Amino acid sequence: MKGSRVAKRYARALLELAEKGQEEKWGGELDRLAAAIETPGLLERLASPELSVQSRQDAMTKIAERLGLSFPLRSFGVVLARHGRIAEIGAIAESYRAQVDEMLGRARATLTFAVKPSDAEVARVASGLEAIARKKIIPTVKVDSGLLGGVTAELGGKIYDGSLATRLAEARRRLAG
Amino acid sequence: MKKTIITVAVAIAALSPHIAFAAEGQAEEQGSWLVLTFFAINFVLFAFLMKRFAVPMGRQFLVDRSATIRAGLSRAQSALAEAEQLAGKASAKIAAIEAETKALAAELDEETAFQVRRVGEAAASAAERIRRDAELTAGAISEAASRRVRERLAGTAANLAHDLISKQFRSDDQGRLLDGFMDQLGSEARR
Repeated sequence: MKGSRVAKRYARALLELAEKGQEEKWGGELDRLAAAIETPGLLERLASPELSVQSRQDAMTKIAERLGLSFPLRSFGVVLARHGRIAEIGAIAESYRAQVDEMLGRARATLTFAVKPSDAEVARVASGLEAIARKKIIPTVKVDSGLLGGVTAELGGKIYDGSLATRLAEARRRLAG
Repeated sequence: MKKTIITVAVAIAALSPHIAFAAEGQAEEQGSWLVLTFFAINFVLFAFLMKRFAVPMGRQFLVDRSATIRAGLSRAQSALAEAEQLAGKASAKIAAIEAETKALAAELDEETAFQVRRVGEAAASAAERIRRDAELTAGAISEAASRRVRERLAGTAANLAHDLISKQFRSDDQGRLLDGFMDQLGSEARR
């Protein structure tokens, strides 16, 4: 919970620094930086207390340069390294995305289909979710054959289930009494 | 005293006939007065000696004997009285014991009857409880068995359905499911 509050604070600070129209670009760069740092083994080394602050900052600078990040994102990475918040970078990126979505009136939804959907089907489901959220939906599509048929959607922590697997499970429960 | 002397004299005369016979024989030879005097003095001495030594001893013996007999009698009477008292007490005790025995027997009968009643009631209560428990257990077992059967049937049906759907699922089925899902989202949006 403390980590979550810290992540929100850092994300808000970065978002406030972003110029209008740059939010999405910075968000993408932050996601890349988080993905690079959260590589197994690297995060543990960077977050290790045995590493000096200077070494940590140097390492972060090199990673940011190698990823070709813009100056503000490089600086942000160095600030995280200096303040010993490298371990929070994943949560910061997630919080940043959520705050940008909130600012731009968007919502993210995870759509899970039983079979690979067409673009039209994804758009159809997204439009249905937009009617509920009254926001533009950015869908993340997954395929899970365990659903047997149909689709499920997760939006803002709520799950809308239209899968055959769930219907079958309900039928089984009713039959069992 | 006189009676005693006479008695002793008669006794001596009776016990010593040869003296009298000798005196009679001598009287026929030398004269009867002398013999009589001798016999009289002799007798007086004898009577004196008897009175002086034998009578007190005999009297003392008889007094002692009388005292002994009286004491014995007294003891015997006392023992008899004591025995009678003890017999009375024993009779009273026996009567009390008999009464107590009767009371105990009655109490025992009553207690036995009470215990029999209580045991009977307890047995009836236990039987009722066992019957209820048995009914509950039988009900629970029946319900559990029924539930297991239903669950097994439901599981089998679900597995069959799963296999059928996996084998025969087509794209138009997915389209119908998607239509249903969109209806579900529409209902949610209208709330």
